[in-house]
Amino acid sequence: MDFTFTEDQLLFQESVRDFLQNEVTCERIRASWETDSGRDTALWNQLVELGLTGMTVPEEHGGLGMTELDFVLLAQECGYVALPEPLVHTVMVAVPMLNELGGELAAEWLPKIAAGDARVVVGLQQCLLVEDAHIADLLLLQQGNVLVAATADQVFLKHNESIDPSRKLFSVEVQAGAQQIAEGEQAATCVANALNRGALGCAAQALGLAQRMVDLSVQYTSERQQFGKPIGSFQAVKHHMANVAVQLEYARAPTHRAAYAIANGQELAAYAVSHAKIVACEAANLAAKNSHQVHGAMGYTWEMDLHIFMKKAWALANTWGDTGFHKSRIGDRIFAPRAALGAGATFA
Amino acid sequence: MKLSFSPEDEQFRQEVAAWLQQNLTGEFEKLRYRGGPGDEHMFPEERKVWERKLAEGGWTCVGWAKEYGGRGCSIEQQVIFFEEYARAGAPGRVGHIGEGLAGPTIIAFGTQEQKEKYLPGIVAGTQLWCQGYSEPSAGSDLANVKTKARFDEARGKWIINGQKVWTSLAHESEYCFVIARTEPDSVAHKGLGFFLIEMDQPGIEVRPIEQITGTSEFNEVFFDDAVCDAGDIVGAPGDGWKVAMGLLGFERGVSTLGQQMQFQNELDEIVRLAKSNGAAQDPVIRQRIAGAHAELKIMRYNSMRILSGQSGSDGALQKEALIYKLFWSTWHRSLGELAMDVLGPECEILEDGPYELSRLQSMYLFVRADTIYGGTNQIQRNIIAERGLGMPREPKGAAK
Repeated sequence: MDFTFTEDQLLFQESVRDFLQNEVTCERIRASWETDSGRDTALWNQLVELGLTGMTVPEEHGGLGMTELDFVLLAQECGYVALPEPLVHTVMVAVPMLNELGGELAAEWLPKIAAGDARVVVGLQQCLLVEDAHIADLLLLQQGNVLVAATADQVFLKHNESIDPSRKLFSVEVQAGAQQIAEGEQAATCVANALNRGALGCAAQALGLAQRMVDLSVQYTSERQQFGKPIGSFQAVKHHMANVAVQLEYARAPTHRAAYAIANGQELAAYAVSHAKIVACEAANLAAKNSHQVHGAMGYTWEMDLHIFMKKAWALANTWGDTGFHKSRIGDRIFAPRAALGAGATFA
Repeated sequence: MKLSFSPEDEQFRQEVAAWLQQNLTGEFEKLRYRGGPGDEHMFPEERKVWERKLAEGGWTCVGWAKEYGGRGCSIEQQVIFFEEYARAGAPGRVGHIGEGLAGPTIIAFGTQEQKEKYLPGIVAGTQLWCQGYSEPSAGSDLANVKTKARFDEARGKWIINGQKVWTSLAHESEYCFVIARTEPDSVAHKGLGFFLIEMDQPGIEVRPIEQITGTSEFNEVFFDDAVCDAGDIVGAPGDGWKVAMGLLGFERGVSTLGQQMQFQNELDEIVRLAKSNGAAQDPVIRQRIAGAHAELKIMRYNSMRILSGQSGSDGALQKEALIYKLFWSTWHRSLGELAMDVLGPECEILEDGPYELSRLQSMYLFVRADTIYGGTNQIQRNIIAERGLGMPREPKGAAK
């Protein structure tokens, strides 16, 4: 039994953290809101150079051949800076789906993803809209009981504005020429696994978002003075942040546990992911709510950066399966006739 | 990361399970699922016999090093021991304060003489301990201890005067560890000593406190010229706070596992009840049970994480152990409410007169103490915000 990350995993996290915090500033995010695509090609190329887009691409296709467990800490860092680029989606959802499908499709597209020559996105019916469809070279789309692969010229896109200006969402109409790539049980498995990975990606990002909002609030309440003292010294203020700290700290282990379950193909992965998604998104939403409260009126302004993180947290909580969906998956497992509960079932 | 146990560990599990199956029988049968927190008044004498039975099998102090009489179990084996102990429904341990708090403190800070004098009685399950920290004017402000310790040169002994309160199991214990002021004019955490005191002496009086459960687990303890041998102070006079705080660290390690297993048994009982009386059909109850399950799972994962040495290294709150008390006590209080809601109208009907509570009713009342003892939720939040998050400290009044 070992519930720790390796030194390599932690070092990788540290170097990616440094890179992201230097490069992905709030100013840069605000600048991206003013562009047509909302996406920053220069930044994406930097992520490619670091090998990040190919993290879960197998080595024979030019990637690093790593797992969801290796990436989960990096996804947290993506959340911390509210990275607009679809790195988490690429590494956690698109590449693993291509790995599962295998064959010519994987052989053609995986090397391109690792090399930064192409971008692939996945669209599931559970998510209603497709993230970053406008910059995708290939779209893997659930169409009822089948999966189709469509190139950019085989789709018609309609942009839907998100409350988070960094998120780019599209309804997608598939045109003639798209290719069916899976059906029946294979398609269903691919869709289920993609949903779990996408939800895990949300959970990990939510941890980072919550941490960022805590950091912003601790800094603000340590500086802002009222009644001749920093407002952070008042219990009524600091207890708001303590409540967030507890929720956040205790959302980490389930998220890491879920990444482990997916990376090791465990049967309980769906349940572990639902657990992680619920608690991590709840922590992020509580962080947003309480951070707003302790920022006072300033937090309500467009100028303050707080809403960049709060809006992403809010959006992530309701996509890749909303809270009701994930809670009912946990309930179904606990109330199953021969549920593995009880004192001996620590890792069940 | 490897979230499973090795074949050797699973073999150890068989060994524990087999021993419990063979020994938790006959006279001990009635102790199953009894005697946990809030239920300490049940079968104290029988549980003392059980403690000695455990000791005979080598199942007390399993995590202590062999040189101190322990079993030298690895962390994994300790986890497994607590899992199997709870799975068998084995009773609340009367020796837990000695094994979990007094013993580890003596091992960490005590003299060779103290180790030889006290550890064997804890391992054998024959000598029980209680904790003398809180006082009438030292609750949340624990450092405001007034109990005095004066060294009598002529007798070569410490003389203790003062009062402790909320002392769990003082009426069942052979020894008490006490923080008392060795420097008369000192304030706050300076000038304290940490003493190991024998309870059976004329200078000590124990008065039970009747709780809202109608039973008494907590006590008041009065020291009126009580004596303590010169060799029974742990650390130097004046170092008592350091020792006392070191001891609190032991509360957050392996000893959390036993508690979580007890929680698991309570939750399992609620799930069984909900299935049998139909409450599980209610979608709101269903979600609350699922939520309770998920949060208990979190506590268990986090204990594993802390025990594997992870805490802090992945950007976590450095002092993440600080948050455990707040989390579990709040969870447990909600569990009590959930239990009553699952029972429905039956929840107010007692098992029998006079005032005989069911296990769940007793739990529902006892959990009101959880969010208060050992640092109230409000004190915990102050600590988390100030020490964990680094927020500005609240100005404190001058100590008197």
